[in-house]
Amino acid sequence: MQLPESQVAVLEAADADTDRSITDIARVADLKPETATQAAFALEERDLLAIDEHVEETVELTDEGERYVGEGLPELRLYKAALEAGGTDDGVPLGEVIEDAGLTGEAVDIALANFARKGYGSVDSGQVTVDPNARPDRDDELLALETLSIGNSVDDSDVLDSLEDRGLIDRSESTDRRITLTDDGVTALMEGVETAETVDQLTPELLTSGEWEDVEFSSYNVDASASAIQSGRKHPLRQMVDRVKDVLVGMGFQEMQGPTVDADFWINDCLFMPQDHPARTHWDRFALDDPQKIDDLPADLVERVETAHREGVGEDGEGYNSPWDEEFARQLALRGHTTSLTARHLAGEAMGDLEPPQRFFSVEKAYRNDTLDATHLLEFFQIEGWVMAEELSVPDLFGTFREFYEQFGITDLEFKPHYNPYTEPSFELFGRHPETDELIEIGNSGIFRQEMLEPLGVDCDVMAWGLAGERLMMLATGAEDIRDVHGTLVDLDYLRTEEVLY
Amino acid sequence: MPVVTVDPDELRQLTGMDRDDDQLREDLFELGVEFEGWTEDEEFELEFAPDRLDRLSVEGIARSLRYHYGEDRGVYIPSTNSAEWTIDVTSPPAERPYVTGAIVRGLDLNDEALESLIQIQEKLHATMGRQRVKGAIGVHDLTMLKGAPATEGATKSITYSSTDPDEESFVPLESNEEMTPREVTDRHHMGAEYADLVEELDRYPAIYDDMGLFSFPPVINGKRTEVTGDSRDLLIEMTGTDQWTIDHMCNIVCYSLSARGGTLERVDVSYDGDAPGEYAGQTLDRPLFETKTKTVAHDRIESIIGTEFSQDEVIDCLERAGLDGTHEMENDSDKYDVEIPPYRVDVLHPMDVIDDIGRAYGFNELPREYPDISTVGGRHERSRLEDATRDALVALGFEDLLNFYMINEVENYRRMNLDQADDALGGGQPVSIMEPYSEEYTMLRTWALPSIMMVLENNTHRAYPQHLAEIGLAAVKDETENTNVAEHRTVAGAIAEAEASYDDARARLQVLARGFNKDLETPATEHPGFISGRTAEIRFDGEKAGVIGELHPEVLVEHDMEVPVSAFEFRLDALQ
Repeated sequence: MQLPESQVAVLEAADADTDRSITDIARVADLKPETATQAAFALEERDLLAIDEHVEETVELTDEGERYVGEGLPELRLYKAALEAGGTDDGVPLGEVIEDAGLTGEAVDIALANFARKGYGSVDSGQVTVDPNARPDRDDELLALETLSIGNSVDDSDVLDSLEDRGLIDRSESTDRRITLTDDGVTALMEGVETAETVDQLTPELLTSGEWEDVEFSSYNVDASASAIQSGRKHPLRQMVDRVKDVLVGMGFQEMQGPTVDADFWINDCLFMPQDHPARTHWDRFALDDPQKIDDLPADLVERVETAHREGVGEDGEGYNSPWDEEFARQLALRGHTTSLTARHLAGEAMGDLEPPQRFFSVEKAYRNDTLDATHLLEFFQIEGWVMAEELSVPDLFGTFREFYEQFGITDLEFKPHYNPYTEPSFELFGRHPETDELIEIGNSGIFRQEMLEPLGVDCDVMAWGLAGERLMMLATGAEDIRDVHGTLVDLDYLRTEEVLY
Repeated sequence: MPVVTVDPDELRQLTGMDRDDDQLREDLFELGVEFEGWTEDEEFELEFAPDRLDRLSVEGIARSLRYHYGEDRGVYIPSTNSAEWTIDVTSPPAERPYVTGAIVRGLDLNDEALESLIQIQEKLHATMGRQRVKGAIGVHDLTMLKGAPATEGATKSITYSSTDPDEESFVPLESNEEMTPREVTDRHHMGAEYADLVEELDRYPAIYDDMGLFSFPPVINGKRTEVTGDSRDLLIEMTGTDQWTIDHMCNIVCYSLSARGGTLERVDVSYDGDAPGEYAGQTLDRPLFETKTKTVAHDRIESIIGTEFSQDEVIDCLERAGLDGTHEMENDSDKYDVEIPPYRVDVLHPMDVIDDIGRAYGFNELPREYPDISTVGGRHERSRLEDATRDALVALGFEDLLNFYMINEVENYRRMNLDQADDALGGGQPVSIMEPYSEEYTMLRTWALPSIMMVLENNTHRAYPQHLAEIGLAAVKDETENTNVAEHRTVAGAIAEAEASYDDARARLQVLARGFNKDLETPATEHPGFISGRTAEIRFDGEKAGVIGELHPEVLVEHDMEVPVSAFEFRLDALQ
């Protein structure tokens, strides 16, 4: 019979007549106890060994317990001091007795609590009275402590329980395994047992030569940490962006594409944003210094847009009482929202004229000269979506958002009527944070105004919505400061340890 | 978004409704006015969207609440007495030709009312008034004005005109010193704040009565006509660059003061023959309390709001919104002529009326339906290519980065050993940002390796190897483009570790090229950011696409790096 080295050693260390502890076996076999145990179990499976298990309780004194063996239990010291002060008949003042007993701090409370419990006397209105018949020399707990301190065992489980409650002893259980050789084991030893070869590494040679059949593989500590490696992974915000794109594609939306640097005409004028709107001052946007202007804008569209701004659209429409200048519209800027892509698509500039129905989206960066804080960066991902159909209603808008946000665990949507220059009706979207249950703003939406659609040549309804991707990510992952996530200040440790998002 | 502070006790008093603070906050939320917090004086701080500028005061919010509660219905127009005063307009600055006004009598201005009057002026200046450029408000104690009629039987008058900045002087508010208009803009603490509104003008705007100059719009009023708690009768004047705008700002102020118990009195605005366009020689009767009418189709109301309405329901919603509606039949279809009160500045199109109907009905009462239309979804080819490339980089062990498009010249060029004149990847004329807010973001990056180097620099305390990659935007100025900017997506990867070498970078680039079925060649080249002799041009299928090499020790030391870095960068579209 061939057995691994450790099993051979354990088998040889065992005896058929005397049961031996694992510790003894390990010592004789020159093995670590855990290796010996493992080998013994393997041998038991082969019926070569019998293992007899029983659970043993070990009781050890705590530091406090050790101390009381020397100086006596606090309640006994209190008893003794009160007895000496003459507290048998009438009470004696508690303060004096405590001082006489040399008790301070915690020990005072411990003494008082156990004094009464054990019937050594009573404390009433600051007077201590002792029971002269009490037998402090027969105190179960003290006797048990003394017994334990010299290494003997105590069987009275009530006393042990109360000592454990007082934190004077630690009890632990250990399994004692005793081993005897079975008849099969004896036979095997008599017939002869050989040591099988163990190898650390399975090699190509072992595999091709067939030697692997005769070797035993050494055991690893499979629970230990391995050496650190770096893995490639997608940026957490990018994972979020991908997830959003998946959801929107699944809902039938097609992705838009277009310039990041664009003329104000496409960013603002086509959206019926008056040129003197506060958001169009340079403080809010990133206008370009060089180059400054777009070369060409579609002339007929410029004319229609200007007319809408000046006069409105429809029979009794009105325009803004604001200046409008084509040169202003030609100024270049980093887009403040990706709605510029929507304007280009609706105008037929991006993919030619679009007939209803259509659904489009983009999840791309927009740029705003905002104050930097935990939730605002100068560059952010805007999620933009729009739907074009012959007729659309507010319930259509609500239903679309409900579907979208449900994918991210955000339910209980509320819609607050709002104002945007380019949509009417307009709604701010609020949703419940899946973890904090707080009602938070999660987007902005509406039905595009006629003053926007008519110049772009769209004669059906279009509804749209947008929100910051970072906001959705912070909601979904609990990230607290967006500056740690997006940009060159990112901590690689964050990228390496952030939970994967799917 | 505008924020106004409002005393809840004032709201209860002006609405006549005994709602506690919590109820008021709920009522306001339903109006779309959000409670932002308490002020130190225990007043509500309220925020709302900038369409309903008639709510910029406690009186305006109270009016909206009364409609919301059903206490008021339909259009309300306060009565006005006939004009006793005229504003003569004679040679005002051409840049600021318009004026309007009104008189309010019999006011009892307690502290709250005075505070509200100041607040509404500030808020209107900040919104419709476009920081006083488009419209500026002046409120004066009428009893301090002397405007004797020039001839028997004529009305009293003041004159809106212009003055040489240095000739005349007056005592401005919050001062005891006579100053010329130029002195006011030079050294008066409030005047200096608005100096830029007039400094380009040859002659400054000025308003006179019989005693002389008393107001210097849009900068500051004179001390003589200062409004105090004792003022009973007020003159309101507004000057600006647009007549409609100041007329409507004036309406909002008149409605507020009327709600405070004032009696409104009309003012004639008499333009001289030199006034621009349609106003030349005209006399305007102000305030402009005329309603306007929008015609709204019943079908459109139902199709947008998405539910059925009876005619009575439509009329009821209109009246609860402070509008009046009259049902009409036109070509067999139901329509409503809707009358809009003069304080509403946000109603441009019938859709704005439908929005009001929806708000009165309660948008949150509506069902939620997924639109019954069928479309096919899909990703753009460009974004699919970007994703596939990113997946390949990640599979090669690169940690994906997400850096900014905006950068500065120092990071983009100098710290990379590069000059914008260099004919090398990253060289080229920058697209620069106007009046940059921060020195860190002054241009768009021309390549992505500088951003990756910044990340490496910020993470020298983290474990190596650091294999970092990014796919993102880069741009250069390019006059052949319509926008004069050539934007492209760029792919950059860097290997930072003790034994990083050219071979490490090329090994990975080979895998990428093979995956996208590109024939890779790397003929030697020079790039100031890389070590000479260890730098190559990246060519895919013979086309120049980017650069690969070991970064120059100067660049590494500049970025506090103590390990070598090999890197590559190329245009994403070269993998197409």
